[in-house]
Amino acid sequence: MQYPEPLAKLIESYTKLPGIGQKTATRLAFYTLGMEEDDVTNFAKSLLSAKRDLHSCSICGNITEDDPCPICRDKTRDRSKILVVEQSQDIMAMERMHEYHGLYHVLQGVISPVAGTGPEDINITSLLKRLQKSDDVKEVIIATNASSDGELTAGYLAKLIKPAGIKVTRLAHGLSVGADIDYADEMTLFKAVQGRTEM
Amino acid sequence: MILTELRLHNFRNYQDLTVHFAPGINVLIGRNAQGKTNMLEAIYALSLTRSHRTSNDRELINWQQQSASISGVVQKATGKVPLELQFTKNGKKAKVNHLEQARLGQYVGQLNTILFAPEDLSLVKGAPAVRRRFMDMEFSQMSSKYLYDASQFRTLLRQRNKYLKQLKYGQQHDRVLLTVLSDQLAAYGAEVIVARHHFLQHLEKWAADLHYQISLNQEHLHLAYVTQVKVGDETTVDQAYHELLKLYQDNQGREIDQGTTMYGPQRDDIRFMVNDKNIQAFGSQGQQRTTALSVKLAEIDLMKEQTGEYPLLLLDDVLSELDPVRQTHLLTAIQDKVQTFLTTTSLSDVARQLIKKPTIFEIKHGTLNKEEA
Ligand SMILES: Nc1ncnc2c1ncn2[C@@H]1O[C@H](COP(=O)(O)OP(=O)(O)OP(=O)(O)O)[C@@H](O)[C@H]1O
Ligand SMILES: [Mg+2]
Ligand SMILES: [Zn+2]
Repeated sequence: MQYPEPLAKLIESYTKLPGIGQKTATRLAFYTLGMEEDDVTNFAKSLLSAKRDLHSCSICGNITEDDPCPICRDKTRDRSKILVVEQSQDIMAMERMHEYHGLYHVLQGVISPVAGTGPEDINITSLLKRLQKSDDVKEVIIATNASSDGELTAGYLAKLIKPAGIKVTRLAHGLSVGADIDYADEMTLFKAVQGRTEM
Repeated sequence: MILTELRLHNFRNYQDLTVHFAPGINVLIGRNAQGKTNMLEAIYALSLTRSHRTSNDRELINWQQQSASISGVVQKATGKVPLELQFTKNGKKAKVNHLEQARLGQYVGQLNTILFAPEDLSLVKGAPAVRRRFMDMEFSQMSSKYLYDASQFRTLLRQRNKYLKQLKYGQQHDRVLLTVLSDQLAAYGAEVIVARHHFLQHLEKWAADLHYQISLNQEHLHLAYVTQVKVGDETTVDQAYHELLKLYQDNQGREIDQGTTMYGPQRDDIRFMVNDKNIQAFGSQGQQRTTALSVKLAEIDLMKEQTGEYPLLLLDDVLSELDPVRQTHLLTAIQDKVQTFLTTTSLSDVARQLIKKPTIFEIKHGTLNKEEA
């Protein structure tokens, strides 16, 4: 027997999410059928609005409703530092710590030849342009994950940026090897920021 | 260390099994295809999270089932450690003290084992890859730093090889990324090379002694580490790094043409020399067998030296392959110090006389029965 078409389509949509297979998708779809109409409507609206109303900041690559993003527009932030992260979520983790007051740059990925991601497939060119355009930046802090791809990306950025006479540091201490910065607790992150090393 | 208790659930042809092992020599007797090797495989996997005979974990799960588990209790000088491995069709979980371990490095090293099976002759006769695998498996148990460096090296090597191919076929052009890959690969490669040199030196010390005895004072064994970088006792990681990096810099064009990394520990080998002759090319069957045996037995002492505890010894069907002299040496070397699991279809007379107090289990169709003495 086949599922009715609307249900089959919903299951298929769920399988497009990461980490969700056929079985879980089916369970979620049946659960959705049992939800209140209001909740389902809100759910559908949120999905659409997240997609339609959010963009990447044209300066830093962060996810934002307005372009440039609030952090890039904030005149009180320290413009001499740019902290480079893999994803927008990492900015949230950093901001929760209330210890870093500089600017950010979101790579939206990491270099990985095996995964077919080369240097031009992530937000590196825009970072270099940013550095060329302004003399304000004195330090670039690389906060990619301590995974092997994260290290490769960090090494690559250091190689490109250092010749321009800008100080390049790496968040190293405290982050355990292979850890996702997104899940790091705030104290560890704090220590990581304190103990950054020059590359 | 001693494995006091082992539980298997849907592992190969074992449905539900709990056994208590003796500290000395545990003999597993059974006809062909009853589950003797499967039992050793379970102990080996509990130690290293993977089988010695397949890289596909799914094969370990009983054909009629969806998941399997191995658990055991290891008695060490420092106390008891419960270990557990769970296999599902989607992956595996490893627990130490009932806590799931996120990284392999936190698990491997809790239970150390050395396995010796007839196919270990290929350690001497087989391709270089066999000897590199041997080094990685054994040295990783002794040093979590080695495990980390070797696995970082492998990951970077895959990345660099892929990138060299992409450069070769014009899919990528950025040479800066290649220099960064070379630099990072050389850093981990140097760690691996210096560690291998160090461990092999220690292994040789023990192996040469044993070999001399087993060959009735006739043969001197020497283990030569073959690597592209000049490495000696005084070589620092930094020196090895610079030498390896120079090889990458000088041969960039050739490596791109080949689309693969031509230098580094992935090309290493061990040469076994007996009385200054390469035993792989010129040794008799018996000499090769003695060499493999000496090296395996040497690991027992090396592991004790490096970790402070004797490992478990797993001997699959090896007694029948050895002549009485070698059987005697093997059994006297392990008697009273190493917990041993020995499989056989029948116990030879020599062995019966030599083993002081064997604990004998009979294996039949995935069940185990302790033979009352
Ligand atoms: N995943 C599995 N599920 C169920 N049974 C399995 C599985 N894998 C292997 N077997 C069975 O296990 C048996 C082989 O066991 P094992 O290799 O331990 O034999 P053995 O006792 O060492 O024999 P030999 O003396 O020939 O070496 C075979 O009968 C095989 O069919
Ligand atoms: Mg067998
Ligand atoms: Zn921005």
